[in-house]
Amino acid sequence: MSWESSSSDVKKPKCHRKKKTLVTIILILLPLFFFFGTLCIGRYYVSLNDVLTTLWQGLTGTRRGVSAETATVILQIRFPRAFQGAMVGAALGASGAAFQSLFRNPLVSSGILGVSAGAGFGAALAIVLFNSIFLTPLFAFCFGILAVILSYFAGKIDNTSTTITLVLGGTIIQSIFSALISLLKYLADTATQLPAITFWLMGSLASTKTADVFLALFPMALGMAGMLILRYRLNVLSMGDREARTLGINVPANKAAIIAFATLATAGAVCVSGIVGWIGLIIPHVGRMLVGNDNKWLVPASMSLGACFVIFCDTLCRSLTGGEIPLGIVTALIGGPFFIYLLKKTKGRSW
Amino acid sequence: MLRLNNLSFGYTPKRLIFENISFVVQPGEVFCVIGPNGCGKTTLIDSILGINQPQQGTIEVGGTRLTQLKPREFAQNIAYVPQSHTKTFPYTVLDIVVMGRTAATRGFGAPDSNQRQRARESLDQVGLKGFEERLYTELSGGELQLVLIARALTQDARIMVLDEPTAHLDFRHELMVMEIITWLVKERGLTIIMATHFLNQAFYLENASVPTRVALMNEGRIEAIGPPSTVITSDNLKDVFKIIATTGTTDEAGIHRKFIVPLKNIR
Repeated sequence: MSWESSSSDVKKPKCHRKKKTLVTIILILLPLFFFFGTLCIGRYYVSLNDVLTTLWQGLTGTRRGVSAETATVILQIRFPRAFQGAMVGAALGASGAAFQSLFRNPLVSSGILGVSAGAGFGAALAIVLFNSIFLTPLFAFCFGILAVILSYFAGKIDNTSTTITLVLGGTIIQSIFSALISLLKYLADTATQLPAITFWLMGSLASTKTADVFLALFPMALGMAGMLILRYRLNVLSMGDREARTLGINVPANKAAIIAFATLATAGAVCVSGIVGWIGLIIPHVGRMLVGNDNKWLVPASMSLGACFVIFCDTLCRSLTGGEIPLGIVTALIGGPFFIYLLKKTKGRSW
Repeated sequence: MLRLNNLSFGYTPKRLIFENISFVVQPGEVFCVIGPNGCGKTTLIDSILGINQPQQGTIEVGGTRLTQLKPREFAQNIAYVPQSHTKTFPYTVLDIVVMGRTAATRGFGAPDSNQRQRARESLDQVGLKGFEERLYTELSGGELQLVLIARALTQDARIMVLDEPTAHLDFRHELMVMEIITWLVKERGLTIIMATHFLNQAFYLENASVPTRVALMNEGRIEAIGPPSTVITSDNLKDVFKIIATTGTTDEAGIHRKFIVPLKNIR
């Protein structure tokens, strides 16, 4: 049975499949390009050849050909930092995409349930109470998770959490933790602690150490793996609770699982990088322009783009000036104009 | 077969939306639920969909209580076409329709190419061949409704529940939906439960020799239940809708069919 379709001039791009393959290849290769690029670039330039030799040496344990300084710069400083940056960007990009679909709102970012505000408070608390470099990420991580749990229960009414109450819960918890951060800033020692808190909140990968990489790797990898596994469910959940249920999924369980994985990834990222805004909001939209809205493609694309973007911005942070520019400043300054450009170019059609 | 036994529901236990509703929907029939705004139609539909947990009574599908079905099994038994759909992200039409295969897909994965083929067939069957790669946010209301019916059809459930399927549609698309419903019942053997305000649709189905029954709801009770001609009468409408209506019969275009026209409110 069929009717004469009211619009017979259906647009059907012939190059659709070809384009998809090309975009996929680019999205796989691009992070690698940025990754090796950032290892070369800096105040101390290292050629790609030397970078590869050094990495090979680090892997095999031999020491030949490159100078000791080069080996130190690459293996001790740039490699952990680039790796950390890639992970942070991928985690924030993916959880932003996940939260946008879950909340059916393209203006939501990875911090919607208060994870960033909570982590900021945790970090500030550790700085004020213990002045400890080791405890800061740990506290940030725990309070980030705590904030999301509080948001979840704040938004939970009658055993179910509807999208709108969950967003409200998140907004409330976020503002409570923001107030608590201000309180700690007010109480902090202005000579040492206040600058430390302020810099932490601006976000940076400058203090990346191999220990941090391992600390944050686990939750980020676990969260991203979970989101990758559940990513198709995001499509179904974005139809709204009623439809998702009648399409055959357990809505509360799937929602809770996605919130848990996205939170693990975000908290893992924020606890080592500080608050880097912007990525969880904008990167998924760049992804939508490239691969469309199907989360099967969007979540991995957001990971790839997030990784590229953070590596790129962090490279600028550490090489533009003699000092370090906080990452959060650069992501917004670079990302903002770039996004406006994309918006004009695509005329906002893809979303 | 879908059986409701003494079903009662209220959002608060003190104020019930409907009370002691019992009926059986036979396989292969269209069961129309009609009644004034606020009579409890959508709430009843929500209970059948398992969204509302009834205070009292049970719903059984094929002898199994609905509450015992897992979400996946539920979707394989009952498909749903919503009254209104809030469009959020511009998925392609195929992305939307293939979501009907969620329950049939093992694990958490995305539906594979066979499932996508199945979704294409559904689109073809509702007359939207060639719409696969269109963005569903750019569709007209009528096209969107057909896409949502295609998605429900893709679920391969025996029962399809439609909540006011023609609420915002023009005459042409209304007729398209009625033709699809006729086809679903007669060719695919589906059982249809639909809430509607367009009473003439029941006459349409009856005339298309689709087994059709109508339940007339008012203030949480079923006032009358039976074939369209015995339920949709000016007397019943006077009692329930408080209107004067007239029925008639047309013989235009070779179609011999009853219809009803509302004339005025009773003050």
